[in-house]
Order: sequence, then structure tokens, then C-alpha cells
Amino acid sequence: MPASDVQTDQATDQPADQPAILVDHVSKIFGSRRAVDDLSLSIPHGAFLSIFGPNGAGKTTLLRMLATLSRPSEGRIVLGGIDIKEHPEQAREHVGLISHRSMLYDDLTAYENLMIAARLYGVENPDARVRKLLDAVELSHRSMDVVRTFSRGMTQRISIARALVADPDLVLLDEPYSGLDPHAVDVFDQIIATVREGRTFVMVSHDMDKGLAACSHVLVMARGRKAAFAKKEEIDFDAFSAFYKKTVGMGVA
Amino acid sequence: MARSVQVKTPSTFTEYKILLGKDLRREFRTKEMLTSMGIYSILVLVVYGAALSQSSQGVDVLQMSGGLLWALIVFTSLLGLNRSFEHEKENGCLDGLLLVPMDRSVIFLAKATSNLLFMLVVEVIAVPLYFFFFLTGAPVSDSWPLLVWPLIVGTIGMAGIGTLLSTITVNTRGKDVMLAVLFIPLIFPLLYACVSAATVVLVGGDWQTTYLTSLALAGGYDVIMLLLSWVLYGYVISA
Amino acid sequence: MAQTNKNRRGQMPSRGQTASRGQTALSTADKIAPVILVLGAILSVLGFVLAFTIAPPVNGARVDGIAIIGDQMVGNQMLFSQKIFYFHMPVAITSFLALGVAAFYEIRYLMTKDSDYDLKAHLATEVSLVFVVMVMFSGEMWERFEWGVWWTWDPRLTTYFILMLLVIGYFVLRAAVDDPEKRASYASVFGIITFIDVPICFMITRLVPSSVHPTIFRTDSGLSTEMMIPLMCAMFGMLFISYGLFRWRLRTERAQEELDRMKQTLDE
Repeated sequence: MPASDVQTDQATDQPADQPAILVDHVSKIFGSRRAVDDLSLSIPHGAFLSIFGPNGAGKTTLLRMLATLSRPSEGRIVLGGIDIKEHPEQAREHVGLISHRSMLYDDLTAYENLMIAARLYGVENPDARVRKLLDAVELSHRSMDVVRTFSRGMTQRISIARALVADPDLVLLDEPYSGLDPHAVDVFDQIIATVREGRTFVMVSHDMDKGLAACSHVLVMARGRKAAFAKKEEIDFDAFSAFYKKTVGMGVA
Repeated sequence: MARSVQVKTPSTFTEYKILLGKDLRREFRTKEMLTSMGIYSILVLVVYGAALSQSSQGVDVLQMSGGLLWALIVFTSLLGLNRSFEHEKENGCLDGLLLVPMDRSVIFLAKATSNLLFMLVVEVIAVPLYFFFFLTGAPVSDSWPLLVWPLIVGTIGMAGIGTLLSTITVNTRGKDVMLAVLFIPLIFPLLYACVSAATVVLVGGDWQTTYLTSLALAGGYDVIMLLLSWVLYGYVISA
Repeated sequence: MAQTNKNRRGQMPSRGQTASRGQTALSTADKIAPVILVLGAILSVLGFVLAFTIAPPVNGARVDGIAIIGDQMVGNQMLFSQKIFYFHMPVAITSFLALGVAAFYEIRYLMTKDSDYDLKAHLATEVSLVFVVMVMFSGEMWERFEWGVWWTWDPRLTTYFILMLLVIGYFVLRAAVDDPEKRASYASVFGIITFIDVPICFMITRLVPSSVHPTIFRTDSGLSTEMMIPLMCAMFGMLFISYGLFRWRLRTERAQEELDRMKQTLDE
């Protein structure tokens, strides 16, 4: 794909035969530490991958590499046919990240925050797009209030809207449930369900039940390596929990 | 599948305007940088008042005033620069900016510009106050309006290198001290040249050569350091 | 991309990511490092001895008639303290050279993100710090005995003082960042700026005309052969010592890294 090829229509550079995410022998090394160690994966379009593993297993490192926030030391990552090392900017157009940190400016209003994002991504008719998103997360009535006055759950909803502003194909969720009360978790799930269609999701979460409920694929990581990878329908849940306890136990020891 | 949202990558200048606008709007709403820097500069002047109280007014202070003025500016700027990335760090906003498909040096240019503007606004208040408190009785040379050039050149250099360094120090432990430790030795040459230029226009006499040499050297420092910061910024911010 | 570049020209030990960096067999550079260190020490000592024996005493601060430096009268003196010069100049050059080597590795690090370059840059800066402190010390002695003042903001002294602060700042910065990748990038960027800032500092402090006390411009007058021999001995001695120190530190650090890696493997 030539770098000069300005993609205005995102549909054209998404060949159907390309996996949404291709992780090819990726490692993240620093000094004597291997945060991610020779990991390979292929995820089809429209899948929902849940990544589990103990602390320090390299889940967040992998997610940050997928988000182009961190560069792999070895191997390559291809998102929907775009190599993120060669065309990081093109890849970024297709990625949205929802993290436990809101990425919003506390002193600006919800509308202003979203407008900044929309204009930076170059969304055409940003005002209409932002209003539509605010409607979708049911916060139109608070759009002119500064984010500082919002509850954690409301902030998280604006954060979703921010991630979706340029209509990404790939949505990355980094511990999205942390700090949310049960009601906010339900609202979060509902909103994700409405935007689920036609997008690929990757979620890192400590919440086993939530993660398993939503996903189509499961990846278990331990010490930076792939401990298990399977489609959800292939998983025997009892065996899986026993296995997971074992890997996590091993990881923590 | 066809996407419902049309995206057209904005020009670098548009991105710059958006980022700068964001900083200015935040500041306009909270006024945290300007108030803290403004109050701090007045407090430094109060300390000067005590420090100079035993010196004979007029000529003595005039000889030192270039240096004192720059000490005021350095410490005040340090305070502002320290805070300039605080709100970007708070909610991980910096990650949000890095996710946007744009050149990272735009972030540097926008931040350096907003820091420069805040520092200049504070100088517009602090420098006249300095004159009012310490130089009203002194035989200030007629060339004093030329003070504005060293102020501008010096502030540009400090804003540029300061923006790069505060991006580094916001991620370190003990960041307030850290910025000073890195910033002050690095700007020493700039400070040296600016103090010289400021002093000669205030004292007067045969000032032209000294003034122009100092100003040219300060300008050279600015050009080299700004280019260097601009080139290296991508490595710092995406680390 | 697991290229294992074994011993590039015998200087660069294998720096492939997957290959073990702590060598089981010593590389050529590591083998000759102790020899060079000893040779450097001998040369330096020889240089000093020669400086006191064959180098003739020369005029001290070459000022015309009598000058005032820092409120002290300084005449045309024949000073024993001149001998400090044979130590001072080689050390000063070596310290700046070490900083240049560090800057080179810092640039390489930013280009490749290979932590081995960061280690080398770190160690080169460490060596540089040792020499910078020696420069400050010998410079201070020089100043006291030759110029008769404890401190003056002379361009060279000022520059070295700032340089010392910057190098110390480099280590303070390293100590204040936990994430190894961030630490390496920040330190590299700061190191490169330092390397550029120091000559600018010298230029500006020298060229800005100062109204308060005129800078004494001293051009080091031509050196006779008797002076060149001890100077060159000390010069090469210091260079060898710095290289030996660098390799020695590199070897211990790599052994440490290897140990960490083995510990980690054992844990699993």
C-alpha cells in the first residue's frame, strides 16, 4: 500500500481476506526483560478477543503495541492489512482505545473534548458527529458541562464516544470496568453492544465473567507468552478455569 | 463494509491550531498557569525588595537589574513549565493525542507556543512592576525600550527547551526539582547572553556592539535548540 | 529480525536481541581492555614524571604586564603550578571525548531502540563524569595557584562547571525514571542536548562582551618538543585509561545482565 495514497474512504483499504489483527512473532524486550515474548496471533474481522493473565503477563504491553503507543522490539503487527511499523499514521486511523483512564480534559466540556478529537481526526462535519455520539451515550443533556463534574460512569461514556469519534474498525479496551459501579458496568455493556456490529474488539480485563461473556476468542498470557488461545465455542469452561488457575498460579509463584 | 463517517486528514497547521486552541481555552477557563506564575513573580519581587533593601538605591541596582530581571523570569517560567504537562498526564490525555494520526512534533510546536504565550503575558505584568519597584529612581538609559528583544528571544528559547524537558520530567519522580536540575544548566548560555543584552540597554553608554553580539548569540542558541528539540521530541513523547 | 552480528570487526560483541549478550568467551576488546588500562596508567605516570623533569618551566598566565583577575594582581610569573597543565588538558579533552562517544551511542539508541546502546551511552557518560570531576579539581588548583583566585566565571571554567551539572543531571534523571525504555529514551535525548549545549556555552560565555570584568584571553603559545612529549604521554595515557575503564564497566554490567536473565529463567 503506497504511503502517499490518502485514504478518504476507509472501506477500500480493508480487503476481506486480511485478518483484522495479525500479530507475527512479536516480542517486546528491554534489557534482560521480555515483556512480550514471541507472540503470534491472527484475529478475524468482527471478533471479540479477551486477554487474560496475571499481572505482569504482558497484556497491557500487547494492547499498547496494538494501539501503536509502543513499538514492538521484534516481529510485526498488521492491522487490517496495514503494517503498523511502516504506516503507523494510517493504522491509527482505524484504532480506538478505551482505557480505565478517560483521556479527557477535566476542565473542558464533554462537547469540547469530543470536538477536539473529531477535528484532530479530520472527521467531516464534526459537530453533527459529536452530537450523534453524545446522543448514543445518552449524555446530550450534559454536553455543555465540564467533565470534572461528571461521575466516573458518565466520564467513561464520554470516553467511549471519544474512542468512536472516527468510527474505528478496531476497538481496544484496557481494563474498562475498573472503578465503575455495577449500574455503570451495565450501561457500559449496553453501549458496547450497540457499537459491536462490524467492529473488532480486544479487551484486557481482570473480570473473568465479563470477559468470557462478551468474547468470541480467548487469549491467556503468562510471562509474555501465549499460554492458551482458543475460540470461545471450543472452550470447556471447567477445564478452562482449572487451566487458568494453574497458569496464573504459576505466573504468580 | 462502508463506513458512516468520512475522514479527511487535516493539515498540520489545522492540527496545530486545534491543539493550541485547546490549551488556551483550558487556561482561559481555569487561569491556573497565569495566576500561579503571576503571583509567584510578585513574590520574587518582594524577596528582591528585602534583598536589595540595604544597597544604595539607583546606580547599584541598575548595574544588577539585567540579572535580577532574568532571575525573576527564569524562576517564574520554571513554575509555569512544570505545570504545562500536568493536565495532559492527569487522565492519560497525552495517550489520547498520540492515538491521533498526526505528526508528533505538532504537539511540541503547539505546547511550546502556548507556554511562550503564557510566559510573555506574565512578563508583560512582571517587567513593568520590576521597573516600578526598583528603577523609578535610577538613571535608566534612554535605550531601555530595546529590552523587549532580549526578552522575546530569551523567552522563545526557554519555552522551546522547557517544553521538551517538561515532557520528560512529567514522567519522573520528584518532577518539580527534576525540571530545574535539567533546565537551568541547559539554558545557562542563553541566560548569559540575555542578561548581557538587557544590562547594556538599561545602563547605557556604548551599548550597541555588546547588545547586538549578545542578541545574535542568543538567537543562534534559540535556532539550534529549537531545531534539536523539534527533532528529538518524537522520541521523548512516544517513549 | 534476530540478527546475530557476531563480533563486528572484533569491536562490537554480538548484540542480537536473542543471542546472549554476556559473553561466555571474552571478545577481543574485553581481552585487551586490562592491558590498555595498565598501559594508560604507565603512560600517564610517565607523562607526569616527564612534565616535572624535562619540560621547562614557562611563563604562567601570559598577560601583558600586570592584569587584574578577580581583584588580584597577576603578573608575568614563572610558576610551578604550570605543571598542572600537563594533567589538566589531557583530562579535559578525554572527558569531552567520552561525552562525544556517549552522544554517538545515544543517537544509535534512538535509531535502533537497542538497550545495549543505552548501556554503552550510560557507561561512557559515567567515565566522562569521572574525568569532568578531575578537570574541575585540577582547574580549581590551577586557578588558585596561577591566578590567585578561588573562582572566576572564566569561559572555560564556567563551561566545565555547567558541563558537570549537566552530566550530574543525566544521572539524576536516570535515577528518577522507573520504566527502562522511558529511562533510556529520556537519558539519550538529554545526553544529545548536553553534548550540543556545551560548545554553545563555551562560545557564548567567551564571545559575549562582559562590561564588568574583561575576560582574559589566553592563547596557549607554541609548545616545544620537551613540552610535547610529556603532554602526549599524558594525553594517550588518559585516553587509554578512559577506554579501559569503559570496557571494564561494560563487562561487569553485561555479566550482571546475564545474571539477571539466568535468575529469571530459573524462576520460571
